[in-house]
Amino acid sequence: MSETRFKALKDLPAQHLLLPGTPMCPGCGGLEVVKQVYDVLGENTVFVNAAGCLTLLATYPFTPFRGSWIYTAMASAPAGAQGIRDALDILIAKGRLPPAQNLDVVVLSGDGAAYGMGLGPTSAAIDRGLDFYYLCYDNEGYGNTGQQTSAATPAGARTATDHGPVGFAGEKKDLFSIWVAHHPPYVATITSADPVDLARKVETARGHAGPKLFIALAQCPTGWHYDPKDTVQMGRLAVATGIWPLKAYAGGRVTHTRRPKPKGERPPVEEYLRAQGRFDHLFSPTRNEEALARIQARVDAYWDAAE
Amino acid sequence: MTRTLLTGNAAAAWGARLAEADYVPAFPITPQTEIIELLAEWMQRGAMAGRIVMLESEHSMLTAAGAAAATGVRVFTATSSQGLLYAMEMLYTVAGWRVPLVLVNVSRGLAAPITLEPDHNDVLAVRDSGFLQFHCATCQEALDGVLLAYRLAEDARVRLPVMVNMDGFYLSFTREPVRLPEPEQVRRFLPPFDPETLYFRAGAPRSQGVAVLGGAQYSYFRYEAHLASLGALRVFEEAAAEFARLFGRSYAPLETFHTADAEFAFVMLGAFATKAKQAVLRLREAGWRIGLVRPRLLRPFPAQALVEALGGLRGIAVIDQNLSTGMGGVLCSEIGAALLRAGARPVVAGYVGGLGGRDIPVEEFFEMARETKAAAEAGRCPPTRLLYTEEELRQTRALQAIAMAE
Amino acid sequence: MFRVRFHGRGGQGVKTASRVLGTALFHAGFEVQDAPRYGAERRGAPIFAYVRADRQPIFERGVIVRPDLVVVVDDTLLTLPAAAVLQGIAPHTLLLVHSAQPAEALRAKLKAPGQLVTIAPREVAATGLQPQGAMMTVGAAARLLGVVPRQALESAAGEELAALPAKLRQRSLALTLDGFDGVEAPGGPVRELPAEPAEDYDRPRWIALPFEDARIASPTIYGAGTSMLSKTGLWRVQRPVIDRERCRRCVWVCGTYCPDNAIAADAGGYPVIDYDHCKGCMICLVNCPSHAIAAVVESQAREAAAAGDAP
Ligand SMILES: Cc1ncc(C[n+]2csc(CCOP(=O)(O)OP(=O)(O)O)c2C)c(N)n1
Ligand code: SF4
Ligand code: SF4
Ligand code: SF4
Ligand SMILES: [Mg+2]
Repeated sequence: MSETRFKALKDLPAQHLLLPGTPMCPGCGGLEVVKQVYDVLGENTVFVNAAGCLTLLATYPFTPFRGSWIYTAMASAPAGAQGIRDALDILIAKGRLPPAQNLDVVVLSGDGAAYGMGLGPTSAAIDRGLDFYYLCYDNEGYGNTGQQTSAATPAGARTATDHGPVGFAGEKKDLFSIWVAHHPPYVATITSADPVDLARKVETARGHAGPKLFIALAQCPTGWHYDPKDTVQMGRLAVATGIWPLKAYAGGRVTHTRRPKPKGERPPVEEYLRAQGRFDHLFSPTRNEEALARIQARVDAYWDAAE
Repeated sequence: MTRTLLTGNAAAAWGARLAEADYVPAFPITPQTEIIELLAEWMQRGAMAGRIVMLESEHSMLTAAGAAAATGVRVFTATSSQGLLYAMEMLYTVAGWRVPLVLVNVSRGLAAPITLEPDHNDVLAVRDSGFLQFHCATCQEALDGVLLAYRLAEDARVRLPVMVNMDGFYLSFTREPVRLPEPEQVRRFLPPFDPETLYFRAGAPRSQGVAVLGGAQYSYFRYEAHLASLGALRVFEEAAAEFARLFGRSYAPLETFHTADAEFAFVMLGAFATKAKQAVLRLREAGWRIGLVRPRLLRPFPAQALVEALGGLRGIAVIDQNLSTGMGGVLCSEIGAALLRAGARPVVAGYVGGLGGRDIPVEEFFEMARETKAAAEAGRCPPTRLLYTEEELRQTRALQAIAMAE
Repeated sequence: MFRVRFHGRGGQGVKTASRVLGTALFHAGFEVQDAPRYGAERRGAPIFAYVRADRQPIFERGVIVRPDLVVVVDDTLLTLPAAAVLQGIAPHTLLLVHSAQPAEALRAKLKAPGQLVTIAPREVAATGLQPQGAMMTVGAAARLLGVVPRQALESAAGEELAALPAKLRQRSLALTLDGFDGVEAPGGPVRELPAEPAEDYDRPRWIALPFEDARIASPTIYGAGTSMLSKTGLWRVQRPVIDRERCRRCVWVCGTYCPDNAIAADAGGYPVIDYDHCKGCMICLVNCPSHAIAAVVESQAREAAAAGDAP
């Protein structure tokens, strides 16, 4: 990732392509991600959407896109991408579409779909070597239906279906590794709080044919219970505390594109957790030392192994 | 035009080949699999200039099919039974996208208990989805039905997906003589797909399948699909007339057989209707004035033609190869409603038969005719009867004994 | 039947307030129906909820078109046509508004045909959305109906707020009762509208929907960027205001982080905020390295703009 046009914020596109007027919550991290990714991908794209909050990006007769869009269903957006990609290829091969009018096909899916109902279709699309982008905005729950627990919900988070004193008792699924196990050309994690890292990764992905997959942290003020103004801080904390590793898989190798400070020097995960209402119960009325230690230990173990 | 022996599956595949379908998303299921295997073989050896892609489920298959049609290619796909229901969400979705494509469904009974043999519960479960439905009784119809279906689906006045239905085993795996139309002739009947406004391409931003808020908008889009479906009846008649001119085979929305002077009629869908024809001929030899009425189009529902054909009769026997549990036969209630609304009151005898591929022997047709006549004489509609014999129950009992069901 | 319609913004506790009233009426012996109305809109967007109460079973459902009492939790909605606060109000309709403005002035401004009662915000309206306003207003609404005993309101609020942390619950409860105690309608309690006559009614003007081909009659948008027509700026309760003196023209910062693409550079490289669409999340404010962005209460900013001052 040496030759990049994106070295600093200043180098990012000054004109933003995704237009305003969407029904997303104020401060929506998912929207921020889509906006930043769109700036790099450009308008010669067709977004193929799975049911989720961002389905309402295009609500008849309003669309914020300069390019194209189709809403499919919760499970099968990758198959929708397959149909469009195949159709475009057929049209070009048969001389019915000038190659200059070709489009990039981009799946836009929430975590609920990506980690759960849509995982089979995603896996199959990777198996078929489909040439597409896949953008999972991970707000760590079924946001559109009121933030119920999904397979992406992190340990300890309170959701609409996990109210208990420990919040969600399970662990967040490692979708990155599941995808990597398919050996697609490119997989990366991103956050809109690090727009330069994000832009570089999307730019790098452009150089690969086949499946190019992204998991974006999608800070969700509504579902995570924090003030919308703190969306960027939440993303920065996630990276700085090490709970959201920024990494990329390409050429058979996983590389960390940002490294939090070493153990002991980096801020404890607690700082990230305490900033969000969904973890309140870990701090009051009494501190749940056991849960906090467990979450911290998992983050530390991750980075120990990544050394 | 060559005449050759083809299974229903092969005939349907020939339909797709002659229609020069560009794209076939596929997933295997008995008894449909032969269709996609044939298409794959033709495409792989260059006999057909299309692309077939194996999806991981019918839900994905229908998504890919609809999305490709929305991008402007001619799409063919096929499934059966559980597969059709697995795709249920997407049947409504792609119909709501208003994209033309043709789906062959090879009818098979639904689990549980799981079975391989046919009845029509699968295709009737999706009758409200927005897909038009063309029901075949012969292998020839399976081929011709696919060609007619494309004409219908792609007509600007319709632009809805069309399902061509045939019975598993009784058509899918059964060979019959089929006339293969000349490709040149087919091209005259079915010109290359003009996607008009259906495409995704650079420089022409387009959002399809967009969410709506509010009942007024939703009602508008849904009802427009309904109006397009109703209007498809006329479009079908036009297309069928041209088809008859070019190929010499006539397809009315409703097949009528010896109904001109009839007092009674059998009414049924699909391949078993040819058995009813055989019964009609034998009954006529015995002096009966009886005929057969078979809807080819079930959606749009040819209500007026049905009323014209059946309204003046003394009695009709509707034989449903499906079961709406807690209600009875689907066709019987749809036809009953059409007759009632037209003020026509023949006695309607409802039969449920042929579930899970159970045969309907000719004697049962004779008996249904006799019962229907008795009901007409009594002036009362009898309760729905399941075609099931003492012997069958005895056999079932024997199995239950082995299963230790007491 | 009492028909009560609540108006507020997403995040202001309108749903909770409507449930408190519903439960209070239920405790007071009424048959009750209450429901929030959801759209695609989110936090800050205008939303509504409704409550019906009758002494016999309620057969009516859905949106209330002829309200007897309209409860407005956020007075900035009054001037938003999109919020439709005044829809269907008649001379008998009582308007209850959570507002610091004098009732008479508001009534004249809105040309309200019936009574208008205000309940003044208890805390100084600082920033953000305040669910507490809804609690005080619902207390007042209960009083104005004239049929809800204080005790019924108290237990209803206790039930509906049970999930809140203790401190917040107590404060909300106190505010609810303050609302109940602190209001009086000069023209007497809310009056119920007599039932619609089945003979003399406005006949619906039905049409036979004409057939239209799929090019028009499919949910397809043949264009780009039509969302610009959606004025999400109306959701805003705080307005980010840029101080050009302090601004260092690094629009790539605020412009990149604004989720809604509501910041663009002008010819001189200064950021310009698109107030038609800015939702007031204040992400730009907290990320501005030169602290050049301030938050101004939206209603004040509007008034200032109306008075001709620069925001
Ligand atoms: C088959 C199906 N089941 C359930 C739903 C209801 N549904 C709509 S959006 C959604 C949540 C999706 O969660 P996620 O993918 O994480 O996206 P988010 O809402 O968080 O943006 C659900 C469950 C649906 N649309 N389709
Ligand atoms: S609920 Fe969360 S993800 Fe959904 S629109 Fe609101 S902020 Fe965005
Ligand atoms: S970030 Fe602050 S200083 Fe930079 S352009 Fe925006 S308002 Fe001005
Ligand atoms: S407050 Fe700032 S960041 Fe938020 S929408 Fe408005 S301009 Fe954008
Ligand atoms: Mg989610």
